[in-house]
Formats: sequence, C-alpha cells, structure tokens
Amino acid sequence: MNTTENTSAATAGTPGPAAGSQAVSAGHSRVPVLTVRGLTKTYGSGDTAVDAVRSVDLDVASGEVLLVMGPSGSGKTTLLLMLGALLRPTAGSIAVTGRDNRDVDIAAAPEKHLPALRSHTFGFIFQDYALLDALTATENIAVAANLAGTTGSAAHHRATELLDRVGLEHRATARPSQMSGGEQQRVAVARALSNDPPVLLADEPTANLDASRGRDLARLLRRLADEDHRSVVIVSHDDRLREIADRVLWLEDGQFRQIASMTIDPVCRMSVERTGAHLEWHEQTIWFCSEGCKREFAENPDSFQP
Amino acid sequence: MTTRSLHPTAAPPNPGRGVRPTGAVPVGRRFLFADRRRATLTVLGVAASLLLVLVLDGIFAGAVDRVTYYIRTSPADVFVSQAGVRTMHMSVSTLPADAPDRVAEVPGVAWAAPIAFASGSVAGPQGRQLTYLVGYDTRTGGGGPRALVAGRLPGAGEAILDEQAADRLGIGLGDRFTVMGMPVRAVGFSTSGSSITNTTVFVDLAEFARIHDDRVSYVLAGLDAGADPNTVADRIRTGVDEVTVQSREQFTESEARIVTDMSADLLRLMSTIGLVIALAVIALGLMTATLNRLRDFAVLKALGAQTPRLARAVAMQVLLTVVLASAVATTAALALARLLPTAEPAVQITITATAVAQTTATALLVGLIAALWPLRRIATLDAATAFRETR
Ligand SMILES: Nc1ncnc2c1ncn2[C@@H]1O[C@H](COP(=O)(O)OP(=O)(O)OP(=O)(O)O)[C@@H](O)[C@H]1O
Ligand SMILES: [Mg+2]
Repeated sequence: MNTTENTSAATAGTPGPAAGSQAVSAGHSRVPVLTVRGLTKTYGSGDTAVDAVRSVDLDVASGEVLLVMGPSGSGKTTLLLMLGALLRPTAGSIAVTGRDNRDVDIAAAPEKHLPALRSHTFGFIFQDYALLDALTATENIAVAANLAGTTGSAAHHRATELLDRVGLEHRATARPSQMSGGEQQRVAVARALSNDPPVLLADEPTANLDASRGRDLARLLRRLADEDHRSVVIVSHDDRLREIADRVLWLEDGQFRQIASMTIDPVCRMSVERTGAHLEWHEQTIWFCSEGCKREFAENPDSFQP
Repeated sequence: MTTRSLHPTAAPPNPGRGVRPTGAVPVGRRFLFADRRRATLTVLGVAASLLLVLVLDGIFAGAVDRVTYYIRTSPADVFVSQAGVRTMHMSVSTLPADAPDRVAEVPGVAWAAPIAFASGSVAGPQGRQLTYLVGYDTRTGGGGPRALVAGRLPGAGEAILDEQAADRLGIGLGDRFTVMGMPVRAVGFSTSGSSITNTTVFVDLAEFARIHDDRVSYVLAGLDAGADPNTVADRIRTGVDEVTVQSREQFTESEARIVTDMSADLLRLMSTIGLVIALAVIALGLMTATLNRLRDFAVLKALGAQTPRLARAVAMQVLLTVVLASAVATTAALALARLLPTAEPAVQITITATAVAQTTATALLVGLIAALWPLRRIATLDAATAFRETR
C-alpha cells in the first residue's frame, strides 16, 4: 500500500480533482450525500476498551465510489456499520441525504427510526452474499423491496427488473444454494438496489469471488454509481477495486491516512494515479491510464466528462 | 456479464404471465418448508398429540351419542319421570300406575306411553354383559326400539336385542338367552343401543313384569301437531303430582351429562398432556429452526425488518404447523372413527367439527406460547451481526 504520511483526521484522505473540502471530501463537485464528522466508536470500557474508529471525518458525494482499505482490525467494518445505521457511534455525527432530499443525523436518530432509515436509504452488500437460502433469487430481492414498502406484484416486478439488470433473469427461480458465488453476489447487488437507495454499502464484496468475477462485480458497482448516481462505499482488502474507485482511503487504527491521490480517466473511467499520460484542458490537468485514452480524449474532448 | 441500463425510478413493465404475488414475500412459509424434514417431523409430532386429544374426545362424544340414542330417536316430545329423576341411566324412576292416563288427559298431549326400565345383565353362549331392560307396550309401539334391523316385535317369553350385543354374546335370531336370569327368545334385533359397558333389551310390558316387576318408570308423551313442548311440559307439571317433566332436548342433555360429568376430568387431563406434548414439539422445532436461521433474521433486520414483521414470520410458521397438524390429526381421527367400530362395535368415536375447531384453536394458542422463546431471541438479535457472521 502506498501509505505516505499520517495526517490529522480532519484533512486526511485524497482530495480529487475538485478538491477543496476540508474533510475527506467527495472527489466530485456534487453535493455530499453522506457527511461524517468526528465519528468515533469505542467498544467496551475501562481497561478492555477498544477504539475501533477514532474521530473520522468523511464526505461522500452522489455518484461517487469510495473505497476504504486497511489492514485487518483497522475498523473498516465498524465504520461501515455506523454509516449504515447498524451500530450506534460513541461520538460524532453522520448526516445522510435521503431520497426525499432531507438530511437525517443517523448518529442521533432514535433507535426505532433506524430500521426504516436503513430500508429507505441504504443498500447492503455482504462478503458472503447473505442471501436467504429459503427464498428464490426473485424473492430475495422482493423481500427487501417489501421492507422498503413495496409489496405484491410491484415488488415482484422490481425484483425481476433488477435480476434482468444484473444479467440473471434466467435464474429467477433458483435458490442461492443452486447458484455460483458470482451469481449470488449479483443477486445480492440486485437486492441492495431493490429499495432504490442513494447509498450502497459493501463490506468485502469481492472477497469470496475469483479474479474475473471480482472484476465483473467491481464494474457493476461502478455502473451503479455512474448510471444511477448512487454513492458506493466499499470497504475491502481487494486491490482490484481500486480501478473502479473515485477515491481510495486508507484506514489504520481507526483513522484515515493519506495515500497517493488518484483521479479518473474520463475516457475509460478507470482510477488512475497522477503520473504518466496527461494534458491541460480548460485550465485543468486531466490524467489518463494510457496514451491511447489521452489521444481519444484529445480528438473530441467535449464528448467526455472529466 | 450483461448489465442493462435501467433507471431506478423507471415504471415497472406490464405484469407478465404466471403467478401474481400479492402482499409480501411469505418468509415464514418459506422458512418452514425450506427444511422439509424438520417441518414434516414437527407437523407429525403435533398431529400425533392432537390425534390423542381428538380421539379421546371422540370416544366420549361417541359414548354420549350411544347413551342418548334411545331418547334422541324416540318419537316422544316430552318425558315424564319420578320427581327429581332427570335421567334413565344410573337412575331409578317409579311413577304411579295411573300416571300414563293422567298425562294423556293433559291438553296438547296426543298420546302417552308408559315404559318400565331396570338394569341387570344379559347372557348368551359367548358371555354376559350389563344391560338395560326396557318394557314397552308392543301394541302401540311407543317407547320401543326406533327400528328393527331384523326379526319382529316380541310377544310373551320373547325379547329384542341390540345387534352388536347379540353378535358379541353369540345370540342368533330365534336363540334362547337369559335376561336378569330369566330365559327369553331373541326374535328381533335393534341397533345403536350398545356402549362399551352396556346394551339394551326390549320386551313387552307384561314380559317385563314377569322378569322383573310390574312398574311404570317413565311416561313418554307425543304432542298434538303445533303444540309447544315447554308449554305442555308445564301443564303436565301442574296437572300431575310428584313428577319431573323434560322435553326431548332437556332429557338428552341430562342423559349426556352422565357421561360428560364422568369424563370431563379425564378428558381435561389427557387434553392437557396432549397439548403439553404439542407445546414441546412446536417449541423445539421452532427453536432449532430459528437458531439455524439466526443469520437470516439478522440479515432481514439489517435490511430494515422490524421485530413485529419477523414475529409474523415466526407466527406464520406456527399457524401453518398447527393447521397442517390439525388436518393430519383430523383425517387420522376420522379414519379411526370409521375403522375402529368394525373391530370393536361397542366403541363409537364421534369427531365433531366443534372438537376439531377447539383442539386446533387451543393448539394454536399453545404454539404461539411456544413461539415466545424464539421470538425473544429474535427481538434481542443485533442486526449488525449480519456483517459479522459468515456461514
Ligand atoms: N463487538 C465488538 N466488541 C469489541 N470489539 C470489537 C467488536 N467488533 C470489533 N471489535 C474490534 O474493533 C476493531 C475493529 O474491528 P473491525 O471489524 O471494524 O475491523 P475490520 O477492519 O473490519 O477488520 P477485517 O478486515 O478483519 O474485517 C478490532 O480491533 C476488533 O477486534
Ligand atoms: Mg471487516
């Protein structure tokens, strides 16, 4: 890992091309969907207390893919659980903008509001897919739609649509145990989309997949951010996910450390380091993965969105 | 991998062919049937305990049917007995000799027939058993057997015997046998007058006097068309001294109470045992099923399911288990009710809809109590464990 230096939480992270926010801010100029300030989680108390996450600040914009990496035990899952309203922080705030454009502070929301908050705001993707084996692929997706308030044939159609979207329409009546890991994870992604959430949260989504299926899944997540303008927060050890991330944050001992800044190649939409092929355009430096992409961009810059 | 672009807010396409789901995905049902073996075992276990309850209840209901058969099928609308005597079985009733005439005089009474009634024993070549001896006026027929399945009405030295008792005691039509030690000849067979302990022998009043004594035990009265049994019963009460008067329904009810009073405690005990077994089976099945699916419940919670929804899924499993078990138990009980009498004619099992409904409802209640334990576990389950535990 290219951990370069320790920084204070408030300024940690990797500002993207549109940098400027004081927090670990969105790599896009879009409005943040998630705004995290001073987020802290301490498990236990006294001698056995574990500071899993320490005063973390973070902004995630809509349409942004954020990858949080870090060694085992660094607090990645803890962070994700707090973002997803599954774990009450010890301190700090998590403002999330729901589909109704209203901001809610998850950290302060009453316990009884949390389930509805989850079912309306977040799509969860688990390392081991966590599909219900008693249900078919379609039902697994429909049940999440039910929880978000869509029932009956509307939920069923939403499920069918989403299966189609992840390319599994032919597996509609299959049970998880009859599907490959890759297929199961795609069903899980479809399930995460069933409530049309502004934010997707994924914990090690590729850990149980082989290289090729992992890459497929990564691209799928990227598309969900691009096409639907969803924010995607992934915590993972998986280096392959770097190529689809807008930003990569490095978590260590519950705090973000800065790593080399990255940006997006506007042609192939890959995450690229700020080295190698680049050009100046509208007083902005644009970086590319290769000379080929750079050439393509130069021929018709207006057809690409930097 | 094919990924098709589709805006999330796009309207769903027109409904396709096939099943149209309504409501929510039936998670409880799916959970129950995902593990067919456990579901089957649980259902069968509960069914066995419900069968125990149903059959026992059916045996007593059958006994009530048998005990009340004579009264229920009697052409009489009103029954007159000695003051304070409300039943035939296990009672002795004696009326004055002029009671039949005095009852017949009461306005609204179309006919009045005396019967003589006593208990004793009947013996044939293959054994002996307890019997009720009924003496009636064979010329008018009032108070005699409802119908003969074989033979003819009895004269002097002759009797009508219940076919099941005749079969058991080895008495054929025309054979001689003894009632209360006196020899008589079987000339006709009646039906449905035998229970496990008892049968009925019908003789003419004169024959009753020869075998036992000359007495009037009850007076059976038929009413004029359109007369109200209760009104006429009141008139008999005021017109004839020292009598108890009951309508057919009241007399049947009093008679049934002999069995129900006797059986109530036993029935309650056995029902409790049966339902406790059902409770244990459901609780065990549900708890193992729930513990095996704890991760699923955690995942559902993470996805936003609240405890009431998960409780409904658990309750649905209970409901389905009990309903299926009840269906199995009822089918088995009905089959037993048909088959058992061919092996043991004296035993009648009567399965009533009320008994089935009551047993099912109680089992449901018991099942929901059994569900409290897994429900507690689910209620306290931390949704975050969905991310922590792996299969
Ligand atoms: N429920 C808990 N109680 C006490 N300590 C906990 C609990 N959950 C996590 N921890 C501790 O908090 C720290 C962060 O854990 P966390 O699971 O967030 O790490 P992680 O980065 O997800 O690790 P991994 O990569 O192995 O999944 C660890 O030291 C862990 O032992
Ligand atoms: Mg983890």
